[in-house]
Amino acid sequence: MSVSRLGAVRGFSKASLDALLAHAGEGSILAAARYNALARYEELPVRSAVRGGRGWKYDLAKLDLSEIAPFAPGPDAEIDLESLSPAARRAGVTIERFSRARESHRLAFDRAFGMALDSRDDKFASLALAFQNHGTFIDVPAGVVVEEPIVVGYEARETALFPYTLVALGAGARATVTERLASTSGDAFVCGLSELVLAERAHLTYVVEQRLSSAARSIVTRRALLAANAELDVALAELGAKHTVSRLRALEDAPGARTGVVAVFFSDGDQHVDIETETIHAAGNTSSETIVRSAGTGHGQGRYLGNIKILPNAHGANASLRDDALLLSAGAHIDSIPALEIAANDVKAFHGATVGAISDEELFYAESRGIERAQAERMIALGFFEPAVSRFPGESVRDAIRATLEDKIAPRAVELV
Amino acid sequence: MSERGLRISNLQAGVEGNAILKGIDLEVLPGSVHALMGPNGSGKSTLAFSMAGHPSYHVTAGSVTLDGEELIGLAPDKRAKSGLFLSFQYPAAIPGVSVANFIRTARQAVRPDDLTPAKFRALIFEKLDTLDMDAAFLSRYVNDGFSGGEKKRLEMLQLAMLAPKYAVLDETDSGLDVDALKAVGKSVNALRESESGKEIGFLIITHYPRILQHIAADHVHIMMDGRIVKSGGPELANVIERDGYDKIREEVAASVG
Repeated sequence: MSVSRLGAVRGFSKASLDALLAHAGEGSILAAARYNALARYEELPVRSAVRGGRGWKYDLAKLDLSEIAPFAPGPDAEIDLESLSPAARRAGVTIERFSRARESHRLAFDRAFGMALDSRDDKFASLALAFQNHGTFIDVPAGVVVEEPIVVGYEARETALFPYTLVALGAGARATVTERLASTSGDAFVCGLSELVLAERAHLTYVVEQRLSSAARSIVTRRALLAANAELDVALAELGAKHTVSRLRALEDAPGARTGVVAVFFSDGDQHVDIETETIHAAGNTSSETIVRSAGTGHGQGRYLGNIKILPNAHGANASLRDDALLLSAGAHIDSIPALEIAANDVKAFHGATVGAISDEELFYAESRGIERAQAERMIALGFFEPAVSRFPGESVRDAIRATLEDKIAPRAVELV
Repeated sequence: MSERGLRISNLQAGVEGNAILKGIDLEVLPGSVHALMGPNGSGKSTLAFSMAGHPSYHVTAGSVTLDGEELIGLAPDKRAKSGLFLSFQYPAAIPGVSVANFIRTARQAVRPDDLTPAKFRALIFEKLDTLDMDAAFLSRYVNDGFSGGEKKRLEMLQLAMLAPKYAVLDETDSGLDVDALKAVGKSVNALRESESGKEIGFLIITHYPRILQHIAADHVHIMMDGRIVKSGGPELANVIERDGYDKIREEVAASVG
């Protein structure tokens, strides 16, 4: 099929999937998974927004995708392979483009692919699987420790980007993976999926830096499956795009698993950020800690749903959820919705949440030391994020996030020439 | 007549329509220490907050001048830049902002560009030492999880680092154990003995005479019901120590009647 014909395909249907597969030339197993996913996408309703009525700018149910070109015959996603040391390569660590991974690393790929997904998955996770067009497979064999972070960068252009990041860690393996979503200007549509599969005693640190351009739209689903005594630390920085939907679920499926989630988002201007995290304690002595810090300014809107599910057999589970939001303008709005479902008795579960503005007492204290009001607000607002930002791994990552947050708190004045 | 001094003239102020200060007159000259004592509800903190420009307190009459410059009507940060420092009775916590960052920002605001980073570090470590404070304080978040004694020490550290012209210490001794009280005293005395600090005028607002065992006051004033009812030398503090406020109250009532 010629390049120009490809560009003419629009919308998400069997016909466009046929066209994509003819171009991509994947093996039949993956294709079957895609067609099944497309069927689920077509059947499933949009999971209705919880109390989304009151003037939410963006309603997923009304999303019109018919004009979006599902793929372009452009280059694959950028994957930073330089960060993999010769020692890591020798130890058998794999970083491979999705489209080739199944050919070159079939066993490892098949062991991991689809493990963290399940039939509860919603419409957009299914769409992402069906139309996956830029993917990365990362496999760290048992016992291998990768010191330097593995960075995967996806860049959205004019068409839709369907990034799929599949990470598998063998027993006792350790690694840090950073997923970056960026876009050059334009109306980018990103619908992604990340699957994180951790064998027993594996430890994965997974950092997401989303800095899509201000006209972009991003719907990304991330799923993790933890085996016994596995540990997952997720750090989410959802900072760009006009409409962000970010869904994370970690299933602690065996005893001793631990999940730590930290998330920051800042809705400014006309942004709408919708984040949901869920940890499911499905076995004994599992633990989770979730910390979310968010802010709104301008007419930004945000919603955070924090779910903790402790199933009946999760004896000795220990879960905490902490969600704090700061409103910096009269027009900003953030909803904070915790949901704790606890079905076992001998567990510890803690939840705390605040939504508020900068306190007058803090402001006056800073001003009484000579710090003028605007600077005091910036300092206090940036400080507000610090308990979450300090949990991101790596000083350069933290500094970059602080710089983005600082820009949002005090946008640089536009110079009139 | 010299313009130097922190001059409070006929200050009247209140909160939410309640008049609390009914005409305060007080003058603190450079290098002197004034103690302002009074029972609870006399308006001591109202005076401190009105001087510093707290938004909840409204000045209805009178003035406060600092070396000739009128403070009433100025934003709080401008008052600090003019040379006023207020040590809070209940300092606010600012989570996420480190002590080092906060003090650096404040110093830069009141004395722009006067210290290189190296000189700033040297100075703050010297002051930490005087206050028996560990360097670990610098990376803790301002007043976040601090004990009462730690909060007061941080107020003293800021006083030392911001080197104001006039310092108002609002019930800095309330709820303090002996060690913390000694640290406050040591800090103020060290500042008064230093080259840069000997000209600072102090207004120490307190309920109990204890602090005056550690800091020598030149003048003592007694405040009741929004007015200064008696002024004298340091021996006045001993009267309070011995007899409490009731005796003074009777005296005042008798003289009015």
